[in-house]
Amino acid sequence: MGEENLDTRLLAELTEQSQDLNSDAVRITREALTEYGQQQEPTRRWWQRGGTVAALAGGAALLGVTRAAAASSSDVMALQTAASIENLAVSVYTTAAGLSFIKDGNKTVAAFIAKTTSQHQAHAQAFNAAATQAGGKAQAAPDPKYAAVVKQMLPSIKGPGDVVSLAITLEDVAAQTYTSYTSQVSDATLRKLFASVAPVEAQHRATLLAVQALLAGSDASLIAIPTDAAKLPAAAGSIGFPDAFYQVKNASPISEGAVQ
Amino acid sequence: MSAGNGGWELPISEGELWRLTRELDEAHQEYLPRMNAAAAELTEELRDTQPTAAGVERLRVGSRRGFLLGAGGVAAALALAACSSSGSTKSQGPAPSGTAMSGSGSPSATSLYTGDLQVVALATALENQAVGAYGAALAAAKAGKLGTVPAAVGTFATTAMAQHADHAKAWNAVLTGAGKPAISNVPLSNQPATLKALGAATSAGAVAQLALDLETQAAQTYLFATYSVTSAGGIATAASIAPVEAMHAAILNFVLGQYPVPDDFLPTDKAASPTLLTV
Repeated sequence: MGEENLDTRLLAELTEQSQDLNSDAVRITREALTEYGQQQEPTRRWWQRGGTVAALAGGAALLGVTRAAAASSSDVMALQTAASIENLAVSVYTTAAGLSFIKDGNKTVAAFIAKTTSQHQAHAQAFNAAATQAGGKAQAAPDPKYAAVVKQMLPSIKGPGDVVSLAITLEDVAAQTYTSYTSQVSDATLRKLFASVAPVEAQHRATLLAVQALLAGSDASLIAIPTDAAKLPAAAGSIGFPDAFYQVKNASPISEGAVQ
Repeated sequence: MSAGNGGWELPISEGELWRLTRELDEAHQEYLPRMNAAAAELTEELRDTQPTAAGVERLRVGSRRGFLLGAGGVAAALALAACSSSGSTKSQGPAPSGTAMSGSGSPSATSLYTGDLQVVALATALENQAVGAYGAALAAAKAGKLGTVPAAVGTFATTAMAQHADHAKAWNAVLTGAGKPAISNVPLSNQPATLKALGAATSAGAVAQLALDLETQAAQTYLFATYSVTSAGGIATAASIAPVEAMHAAILNFVLGQYPVPDDFLPTDKAASPTLLTV
C-alpha cells in the first residue's frame, strides 16, 4: 500500500486520541490496580502474620500510635528509612534557612521553611519512636542516596528557586515513600503513621510547586499569606497537584536508610 | 510530523506504521490481561474479606469515634451547611447534636455494601459529591452568581473536579468488579446540606471554603480507610488518593489566605463516617 491510500490528517487525529485514551487508562489503572497488585502478596503475608495490638508510649503517643506486638524487621527498616529521609529534610531546610537569599528574602518563604523544618523534626521523632518501640534502633543519619544527591546539588544553589526545586524533590520522595510504605507495613498502627505523614509531605510539595511557579513568573510578591488571590495566575490553581493518584515509582526501598 | 504538498504527510513508511500499530496492539493485549488479573485479584480479595458482624461494627464505631472527636462533635455535613448559609468563609459553630448521624441510621444492616466495600462505596459517594460540588460551583461562576472569580480558583476547580472524577472511576471499578452496583450519584445523608450550602454561596471565597471542607473530609476519610480496611488493594488506593486530596486542601488554604500545611500529622477528626451512606 502506498501512502496516498492513507488519510493522514484523520490518522493523526486518531493517533492523538488513542494516545490520550491510553494515557488516561494507564494512569488510572496503574495506580488503582497494578501497583497494589504487585504489592499484594507480601502485604498479605505480613498481614496474616498479624499480631496483638498493644499500647505504645513515648513519641508514638503523639499520634496515638500503638504497635503490633511483633512488628517485622521489614517494618523497622521502613521506619528507619523514613526517619533518614526526615533527617535529611531537616538538614536541608536548616541549611537553607541560613542562606542569605532565604534569610533576607521573602518572609513567607522563610516562615514556610521554619515551619516545615519543625514538621519534619516531628515526623523523624515519630518514626524513630515507632522503630525503637518495635525493637529497632533509632536512625540519626540522613538517607544516604539522597544525601549524595543533595551534596551534588548544593554548589549549584544560587537562589530561592534552586532551594525550592531541591525541596520539591525531597518532599516528593518522602510522600512517595510513605504512600508506598502504607501498603507494605504489617499492622494498622504503622499504616496510620505513614498514611498520616504522606499527605503532609504532599502538601509541602503542593505549596512549593505553587511557590516555584510564582517565582518563575516573577510574581514573588504573591508569595504571601494572605495572598492576593485575584492576582494569582491561573496556573497557580492547578500546578500544585499534577497527578490524580500519588505516584510511588520513586519510593525508596525499605532498606535504603535502615540502620546497618 | 511534517508538512508538504499543502498538508500533513506521514513521516514514516506505511509498512513502518503497520509494524508500530501491531506492536501497540500487542502491548495493549499484553497489558489488559495483567490489568484484568489485578482487578480480579482485588475483587477476590474483597470477597474473601467480607466482614464479620464484629468487623462491620469496628468500622462503624471506629469511624463514629473519629467523627465525634472533631471540634465540639461537629458533624461535617452540618458544618458545611453553616459555613455558607451566613455567607461567611469560615465554618460556624456546632450542629445540632447527632443530627447527621441519627439521620442516617445504621445503613450497614441493610446496605448493599458491607465491610471494605462499604468504605469503597463511601469513597465513591464522596468523590461524586466533590465532582458535583465543583461542577455546580463552576456553573454558578459562569452564571455570575459568585461575583468575580479569580482565575486560579477557576483552574483549581476544573482540575480538582477531573481528579475526583478519576478517583470515582477507580472506586466504581472496584465496586463493579466485586459484583456490586456502581455509584453514580451522591447517596450521602449530608448531601442536602451540601447542596444547600452551595446554593447559598455568593462568593468565590465561600465556595472555596466549602471545597476545603470537602477536601479535608475526603483526605481524612482516606487516612481512616488505610488502617481500617483489610484489603491490600483498598489500602493502596486510599493511600494514593489521600495525599492528592490533601494537596487540593493545601492550595485552597493558600487561596483563602490560610497556612497551607496546618497539621504536622493529618488528623481524622473530620473523616466521614460510613453511616453517612444511604445505600
